[in-house]
Amino acid sequence: MSDSSGSAAVESPEATPPAGGNGEPLVRAENVWKIFGQKADRVIGTPDAELSRSELHDKTGCVIAVRDVSLEIMPGEVFVVMGLSGSGKSTLVRTLIRLIEPSAGKITITGHDVMEADASELRELRRHSVSMVFQHFGLLAHRRVIDNVAFGLEIQGVGKAERLARASEVLGLVGLEDVANSFPDQLSGGMQQRVGLARAFAVDPQLMLYDEPFSALDPLIRRDMQDEVVRLQEETGKTMLFITHDLPEALRLGDRIAIMRDGAIVQLGSPEELVGSPANDYVRNFVRDIPRTHVLTLRWIMRDPRPGEESGGPELDVKTTVKDAVPVAAATDGPIRAVENGRCVGIVDRVSILQAMAGGPEDSGGGS
Amino acid sequence: MQVGGIVLLMLLGYLLVDGDYSWPVSLTWQELPAKLDDAQTWLLEQRTAPDPNFFFAILDGFRALADWLVTALTDMLLWLTWVGTIAAGTLLVLRFGGWRAALITFLAFVSFAVMGLWEESMQTLALMSAAVLLSLAIGIPFGVLAGRSQRFHRTITPVLDAMQIVPAFAYLMPVVILFSVGPAAAVICTMIYAVPPAVRITALGIRGVTADSVEAARAFGSTAAQTLFKVQLPLARRQLLLSVNQTIMFALSLVVIAGLIGGRGLGDVVTNGLYSNAALAILAGIAIVIMAIALDRATSAIAERTDPTRRHLTDRGKRHARVLTLATFAGILATVFAARALGADSVYPDEFETSTTVYTATIHDDLLRWIQDALDYVQDPTSFIFGITEPLGNFILENLLEPLRKLLVDSPWFVVLGGLTAIAFVLSGLRPAITTLLMLTAIGVMGVWPEAMDTASQVLVATAIAVLFGIVIGVWAAESPRVERLLRPLLDTLQTLPQLVYIIPFIYLMPVSRIPGIVASVLYAIPVVIRLVTNGVRGVPPAAVEAAYAFGASRMQVLAKVKVPLARESIMLGVNQGIILVLAVVVIGGLVGSGALGDMIARGLQRNEFGEGVVASLAILALGIALDRVTRGRRDPSRA
Ligand SMILES: Nc1ncnc2c1ncn2[C@@H]1O[C@H](COP(=O)(O)OP(=O)(O)OP(=O)(O)O)[C@@H](O)[C@H]1O
Ligand SMILES: [Mg+2]
Repeated sequence: MSDSSGSAAVESPEATPPAGGNGEPLVRAENVWKIFGQKADRVIGTPDAELSRSELHDKTGCVIAVRDVSLEIMPGEVFVVMGLSGSGKSTLVRTLIRLIEPSAGKITITGHDVMEADASELRELRRHSVSMVFQHFGLLAHRRVIDNVAFGLEIQGVGKAERLARASEVLGLVGLEDVANSFPDQLSGGMQQRVGLARAFAVDPQLMLYDEPFSALDPLIRRDMQDEVVRLQEETGKTMLFITHDLPEALRLGDRIAIMRDGAIVQLGSPEELVGSPANDYVRNFVRDIPRTHVLTLRWIMRDPRPGEESGGPELDVKTTVKDAVPVAAATDGPIRAVENGRCVGIVDRVSILQAMAGGPEDSGGGS
Repeated sequence: MQVGGIVLLMLLGYLLVDGDYSWPVSLTWQELPAKLDDAQTWLLEQRTAPDPNFFFAILDGFRALADWLVTALTDMLLWLTWVGTIAAGTLLVLRFGGWRAALITFLAFVSFAVMGLWEESMQTLALMSAAVLLSLAIGIPFGVLAGRSQRFHRTITPVLDAMQIVPAFAYLMPVVILFSVGPAAAVICTMIYAVPPAVRITALGIRGVTADSVEAARAFGSTAAQTLFKVQLPLARRQLLLSVNQTIMFALSLVVIAGLIGGRGLGDVVTNGLYSNAALAILAGIAIVIMAIALDRATSAIAERTDPTRRHLTDRGKRHARVLTLATFAGILATVFAARALGADSVYPDEFETSTTVYTATIHDDLLRWIQDALDYVQDPTSFIFGITEPLGNFILENLLEPLRKLLVDSPWFVVLGGLTAIAFVLSGLRPAITTLLMLTAIGVMGVWPEAMDTASQVLVATAIAVLFGIVIGVWAAESPRVERLLRPLLDTLQTLPQLVYIIPFIYLMPVSRIPGIVASVLYAIPVVIRLVTNGVRGVPPAAVEAAYAFGASRMQVLAKVKVPLARESIMLGVNQGIILVLAVVVIGGLVGSGALGDMIARGLQRNEFGEGVVASLAILALGIALDRVTRGRRDPSRA
């Protein structure tokens, strides 16, 4: 509550470079704003923009949905945006391809300036470079599954035979060959969302946007679908922007996670950074129930090796989670070497593992 | 509460103010009717001038188009021959609407034939089809626009509202002046009445397409046209066909009145028979009812069955469907050519001749005789029915109508004017009150204050009756599913009947001056009131009801203290809608002796007293707007 919601995005100090390392980001958003309301454009850049959401609403009737968000998504990365209901997640993804017109900001996707794009350039972007999966599926009830999957291609003007061939190929990818001739309302929710996935994959986009694709599904199916996304991402290496309000889902899928609150990003970092050093009480509250040992890896808890420790004793990959290191630690008295590419980069021991399990000293260290 | 106070003050004003305070002559524009007559003559000259200006060229072009369309459709129906028409109608409905609807269609055609009203029915069918085609040609594009653009929707809503407030009877006069008597005038009147529902329902359908589907289409890069044709129209298709259904119902409802201004067919038979041959009028009325029911069932069956979101057609199914359609058309053509080759008449004949004998082919004369017998019975002072209807009619007249008419007509004009304005202010707010004041003043200035007050008294009495019974029945139906089940088909049928058809039976059942109009308007309005009340009471949040029961309230207490108060808004809406519907029928009563404004129009139409007629039309319009504003309530003005 007391937290000033006007604060800009806080990057954790230790923010790891995004996966994919160097190179141009696929998506770059700078200072994106979205304000709903009559006089929205007269708010940005004035002191009013600093007001909290409810104060601004009382004063001007405008709602700030997205507040000064900047982010970069690297090719091949799974970027997760997470936040409570109403925090502006859906609005943010939609502004990226201007399904909702941003009030201010600069957006580049695959090197193209989205804000400058005219209607036809924008359509080209949506047709070929980006596709989207929706929370409520957004399937067309009057079309067979296969025609739904082929929809994006049809819009591009691809011929019937070709698009149906491509659609059945993609249906095979999500395991729905058998229901190609069914209609959406004849399928379960999970299957419908697979159709939604297939439809998005069919146009072979560079960037896939997922707006809470699984929150309408029950937990077991949701897990299946998450596995599906992980698998598809591994097989195809697509860049993904994934929206969710479910933290475990975010931690499972995300290379990096942005946490939103009242339209602004309050922390952006790897799963470990969020759990290991929450930027503020808001994030801390969020991650409180997540078992730290399942998320933190040795890299997070290791210390520099002292002379003599760099050889001998058990060794584990630096990306091993604390949970998985426990059996090894239990079996040995001495220090464990954390290795990366065959080189020892740090040392963990029973004490550091126990500290991590207990919520160790790092807790208070992070992000202040 | 406050309304009661105002009414009391009005009563006091009526009782206490002495002397003649009818609308002052100094405030009346007496030359108005004469001026209107002049204007009409001028218009006529312009229209018939050898080289009309642009505006009149458009009017004339439209008139030619409508006339041509009606003639072409009539010719086509006749060309098909009666056998071919029956085959075409039945097979088409069979193909797209299923066998039930096809059976009803078939029976309807058969009944037109045996009633001996084939030609008139076909004329009506053609007239109505022309009006429906033109209405849809306007209504659907506008509806699609309104469905896609919130701003456009907001802009046209008041126009549609206004079009629907005006009783059809009131625009007969102006339309006749602009288009002369004839099929075109009938088509135009029908369009004024039928376009608003076409626009509204189409817009509703487009809006009803889930935002998700539309957004998905946009996200995949659809152009606006792609979104419309690949997503919105197919998904809204059922609703679009329902808008066709409603347009047909509205059009048919006007067909009878159209008989007054040169629409041929059943309407003509009804309006002429009203004075000369009652039994024939009633028979034609029955044919119209049959046509309404058949068209309703057929179009709604087609809407349901061709909905692509439910039909689930696979490739094989599609091929199959195509073959069936081809077969249907082939069957129709084969029948038509066979019928023509065998010499079937274009119209169902009155008698069949064989080489030896002549058979009567219809039961026209028998039906007329039976109807006449029934009429004689209900009008026989010694009959049982008469013993009920006569005193009932007199009761309404003497105890409700007359006192109220006296109050409104004989009160000083400023008392009535102030009172109604005050009620509008209390119930609806400042702006409606100002509108009411302006409208009532306009009525006075036009010099028809007493006639308008007479009409208003009829409207108020009929509305009161409709609302009273509507609330009781509506609450009952909301409480008991069984009552609702029983009621529904009855209400459906009542709502498909054309306005004038309601009046016909009561001219004979209750032949007491203004009573037929009143009873008919009550019947016309009550289905809507019942529906609104039922929905309102149903819509009361279950939590509130549960809480009341939890405190030990009895069923009656829950009704009286929770449900009805919470349903107040729907009930108020029922009053508002009811009053507009009642007005529409009450003025038609002018045709059969209700006097007042309706009578002025009837006379205007029958004796070419244009000025008077137009004044009455304008007064009805003003009265409609005033009554609407008085009862509008503090409804959200931005209702979608
Ligand atoms: N069209 C709109 N007009 C006005 N306000 C809007 C509109 N769309 C969204 N908002 C407001 O913007 C804020 C952010 O909404 P958004 O849908 O982006 O949230 P979200 O994080 O996706 O929430 P959820 O998890 O419920 O989907 C909310 O307060 C919402 O009320
Ligand atoms: Mg959302």
